[in-house]
Amino acid sequence: MNAIEIKGLVKKYDDKFQLGKLDLTIPKGVIVGLIGENGAGKTTLLKAILNIIHIDSGTIKINGEDNKKEEKKENIGVVLDNMFFPEILTAKDIELAMRGMFKKWDTQVYYNYLKEFELPLDKPIKALSKGMRKKLEIITALSHHPDILILDEATSGLDPVVRNEILDIFLNFIQDENHTIILSTHITSDLEHVADKIVFIDQGKIVLDQDRDELIDHYGILKCDPSQMEQVKKEDYLCYKKNKYDVEFLVADRDKTRKKYPNSVVDKVTLEELMLLMIKGVK
Amino acid sequence: MKGLIVKDLLLIKENWKQLLIFVLIFIVIGLEGNQILTFVPVFLSLMVLLSTFSYDDYNKWNSYAVTLPNGRKNIVRAKYIASICLSAFAILFTYLLITISGMMNHHLNLEETAVTLLGCWSAVVLLQSFMYPLIFKVGLEKGRIFLFVFFIGVSALLGLVFQNIKISLPVEVISFLNHYLVIILPFVMIILLYISYKISEKIVQKKEF
Repeated sequence: MNAIEIKGLVKKYDDKFQLGKLDLTIPKGVIVGLIGENGAGKTTLLKAILNIIHIDSGTIKINGEDNKKEEKKENIGVVLDNMFFPEILTAKDIELAMRGMFKKWDTQVYYNYLKEFELPLDKPIKALSKGMRKKLEIITALSHHPDILILDEATSGLDPVVRNEILDIFLNFIQDENHTIILSTHITSDLEHVADKIVFIDQGKIVLDQDRDELIDHYGILKCDPSQMEQVKKEDYLCYKKNKYDVEFLVADRDKTRKKYPNSVVDKVTLEELMLLMIKGVK
Repeated sequence: MKGLIVKDLLLIKENWKQLLIFVLIFIVIGLEGNQILTFVPVFLSLMVLLSTFSYDDYNKWNSYAVTLPNGRKNIVRAKYIASICLSAFAILFTYLLITISGMMNHHLNLEETAVTLLGCWSAVVLLQSFMYPLIFKVGLEKGRIFLFVFFIGVSALLGLVFQNIKISLPVEVISFLNHYLVIILPFVMIILLYISYKISEKIVQKKEF
């Protein structure tokens, strides 16, 4: 059974923005990185999965069940961007409230995490730093033993040390092969370390749905002089972008490209470069 | 749902110092036999609960709350149950205080107190019944403005109607109301609150956060 199955999803916002039509399958046991520009539709997709917004058409299944079955949310841990408990409450208050919200809430696990990440019990959320607050949100999402974690920009705005700590939590969580994480971010370097699968959304559409290893091991950037760009055949690249001094082509098979264009430089592609090329590039 | 009520009570607890001062002032004035303040705790219970809506709006709590198990249903249920509990507590507290004060001042009229409290409770329920669906629909800030405009509008309309049309109720109706209003009113209010709850539930079910 897949963790999440989305078929024919469409969500319209006036005439300005439309998410979909899109299909997406997320198997169990993986970390999926959702990337895209601000306003591309990442949050809308996550909100649709969580039934925070109502979709216009299509189906969304979580662990094989319709996502509208509210009681099934017992198995999902959620971290949303800037949406959490009122900030005058403390970590202790959150524990008291969450105890009454999840059947599987585990006070011991919560307190262990608080201790591990040195989070204060009695300080109101508003007195915590951004990193501490994010950690508290993640800990709260983990303490009812969910099997799916849905995280919207959970690492944005955090320093590298805190981000690393948080990524370690995710890697630890995913040790159980029934666990799944969907993580939206525009800090693509984080995903290069942890994600198994990359889903790239642009203007409400999924433009790339690929295993990370496939991207890192096979995709590449062919760089050449603008005067040579005519020599690169259309069937050999996915898109290209003209820069001031060179032209960059995104290619799906690095080795094949190297053989075909031995005089050009073909490098590995980072997710950031891939994102830039796909958004700004010409197909 | 229990967790959501606990969250609201914890929010209220955060303002316990202000509340305590208020309650102490109320006790002192109440024990002196001044019954003007009979309505204060019941209305205070409403204000206190409205403040939790304000915190919820500010921190976009409801977006998070709908991701919890049975979130949509429980958001509404928790607010209504918390309101009922708080106003019941406020009424009991006032009743107790007035009884003690009456015994101290040798002026005890429990029936009159009960009727006054019923009136206060009804007014609060009336406000809650209109306010909560509005707050769930448009948020606390806009909801307050809508409600203000609504009540001013209704008052003005009724004023105009009664000024221009002379309505005289038959004696039987007045006599019936005199005898049975105290019995009918709680039922009317409970039905009103239930209808309001159902409307709020529908609004939240359809709402996007």
